[in-house]
Amino acid sequence: MSETVLKLENLSRSYDLGKRKVPALQNVNLQVNKGEFVAIMGPSGSGKTTMLNVLGCLDKPTEGRVLLDGVDVTQMPEKELNKIRSSKIGFVFQTFNLLPYLNARENVELPMECNGTPKNERSKKAKELLGMVNLSGREEHRPQKLSAGEQQRVAIARALANDPAIILADEPTGNLDAKNKQEIVKLLANLNLTRGTTIIMVTHDIHVASHTERMLLLSDGKITKEKQGLHSVKKRKMCPSCHKAVTPSDKVCPWCQKELEQKV
Amino acid sequence: MISIPAGATANQASTLSLSQNLVNTITQTETNINQTLTEIDCSLASGFEGFGFRPQDNGNFTPGQFGGGSVLPGNFTPGQFGGGMDIPGQFGGGAFSARGGSTPMNQSLYDDIVGISDVAAVVPMLQVTEGTNTTMEMFGRTFTRMVPDYEIMGLPLDSTALSTYPILPTNITSGRNLLSGETGVVLLSENNSAFFKAGVGDTVTILDHTFLVVGVHGSSGMEDRQTLYMSLSDAQSITNNTGYVTSLQVFASDSASVTSISSVISALHPELQVTTSQQRLTQLEAMRTNYETALANSEATVAQTQSVAFEEVGVAVAATSLIVLFLMLYTVRERTKEIGTLKAIGFSNGNVMSQFMLEGVLLSLFAGVVGIVIAAVAAPTLSGLLLPAASQVGITTNLGRGLVGTNSAATAAAISLTPELVLIALGASVLLGALGSLYPAWRASRTRPAEAMKYE
Repeated sequence: MSETVLKLENLSRSYDLGKRKVPALQNVNLQVNKGEFVAIMGPSGSGKTTMLNVLGCLDKPTEGRVLLDGVDVTQMPEKELNKIRSSKIGFVFQTFNLLPYLNARENVELPMECNGTPKNERSKKAKELLGMVNLSGREEHRPQKLSAGEQQRVAIARALANDPAIILADEPTGNLDAKNKQEIVKLLANLNLTRGTTIIMVTHDIHVASHTERMLLLSDGKITKEKQGLHSVKKRKMCPSCHKAVTPSDKVCPWCQKELEQKV
Repeated sequence: MISIPAGATANQASTLSLSQNLVNTITQTETNINQTLTEIDCSLASGFEGFGFRPQDNGNFTPGQFGGGSVLPGNFTPGQFGGGMDIPGQFGGGAFSARGGSTPMNQSLYDDIVGISDVAAVVPMLQVTEGTNTTMEMFGRTFTRMVPDYEIMGLPLDSTALSTYPILPTNITSGRNLLSGETGVVLLSENNSAFFKAGVGDTVTILDHTFLVVGVHGSSGMEDRQTLYMSLSDAQSITNNTGYVTSLQVFASDSASVTSISSVISALHPELQVTTSQQRLTQLEAMRTNYETALANSEATVAQTQSVAFEEVGVAVAATSLIVLFLMLYTVRERTKEIGTLKAIGFSNGNVMSQFMLEGVLLSLFAGVVGIVIAAVAAPTLSGLLLPAASQVGITTNLGRGLVGTNSAATAAAISLTPELVLIALGASVLLGALGSLYPAWRASRTRPAEAMKYE
């Protein structure tokens, strides 16, 4: 099997509402491999956002462990979680959450500022990433001068800035019209395909979810169903030597160390 | 920021320097008086100090009336005053004002005085002050006062009188003193010299008459700072006071007889106000006490102003910090989602906190700059509203004959914006901004990154 990026072990999270204890996640186990494109689906209140918060170290579970790149992040102090969030995780939000007083390039540069990347390097990489999300020439535009779809593409570029191990997207298409929805999903799928970025996306849109590789259905805080998405067919790639599954971005087979032919 | 304390301090400093000046003058005068304890002041004026008498309202002073001799004005002959004039004493009018008046003298008055036993001599003098009326507007009121340019002192230039009595200044800083029998010449004070822009050997025009400057005298205290000396006849003719004098100096033969002379004069002429040197000294001391009380009151006023100002500043400081605090708290609340986003993408608590501190400080600094601009424009008006009326702080003390302490520290009450004050104000803005945004910034840094996930 391919390398594990994220592992949830018996994860539970409950909220205290006065005297009542409301369970949001109950005993969730999940393993996400490097290069996977996963959709988490479920109705409102099923625990999707709670799960994403816990995965993104924004929230701590009441029980269980989250292993990110093999490291248990549940016991980490806040100070180190900053670094984890900055270097290992890229967030994409439903409401884009770009800083209104910074232009597209500066927004993309923000995460790089956290880990002290030199200015010229930041600027170069930000332009490169904006080019990748088809926003070349719009680097100096402020968010209010960009369409919703464009803003979300800036947000995706920002999420990629520090080359995170995993991208967590919370309803990235929730605030978009049908056309932009399509574009963003394609963009994410394409990133997954070409760069091998691991993506976990929360959505309640079945059409959007179907573009992914794995679809997890969450209800009442538990994973109740798992299906294969359309993306898996496109993506499947085998090492011609050892016939094991490899990610399209791999130049060398992680199993037999043979060089792989680049098709995409 | 409000700049009251500095204004009040400046005001106080000015008042104190004025006080020092006046105290010096009093001390100096006391010394002078102590040296000539045989002096008697005698005046027709009802008041010791005050305004002069217009010549036409009073009698004529006719030189001929003196001792039966044909004495021309200014041609004072000591012989006519009979007796030995060995001990100097002074006998003068109390007039000191815009236009010196005259003390009417007639034969019987003169004879009465000369005839008193132990009176050595009587010397006529004419003292006239020339000045410009100045109108100034202060805090909505108009004040008119005369600013003295110079004071003419006409003395009989007689060899015996000059050599015997200290009627001319002794402190000659350049040139020479007036000589017996001289006319058309003048002895300037240092202030006069500056006023006329003339020195020894130059000519000056006084009331359309030309005089040659023969010397310059240094002043002793305030008394004769403005005084220029000339012959009595010159002084009478240029001021159209021919036949008038403003004062008579009575010289007693010895200090022991001063009291008896003064009481005889008072008995013979109750209309005259007679003051001996000793009495003048007493009066001066009483005045000094008054003056010191006035100064103490003034200082109390200034101190009160200052304490009120500090209270005002204290309130302003507290208000500023609170405003920054609430403003920043509001901003932090308003931007919770943004802060959550920053934390979600990896910003540390420290990053967020310093970000908000910086914002608070910049905000406050900007407000400080705006405040300084407003202060620069509006401070003069505001100072009038915030500080007590200038007249309360200013000191007006009339020290009477030959002494005037009419002055005021009023102008110092105006607030001025100094570079130092600007720097203090900016520093305070930064400090208050930092103080006020400390808690909001801390709150911001505690924002949970999960807030980024929330809908608006």
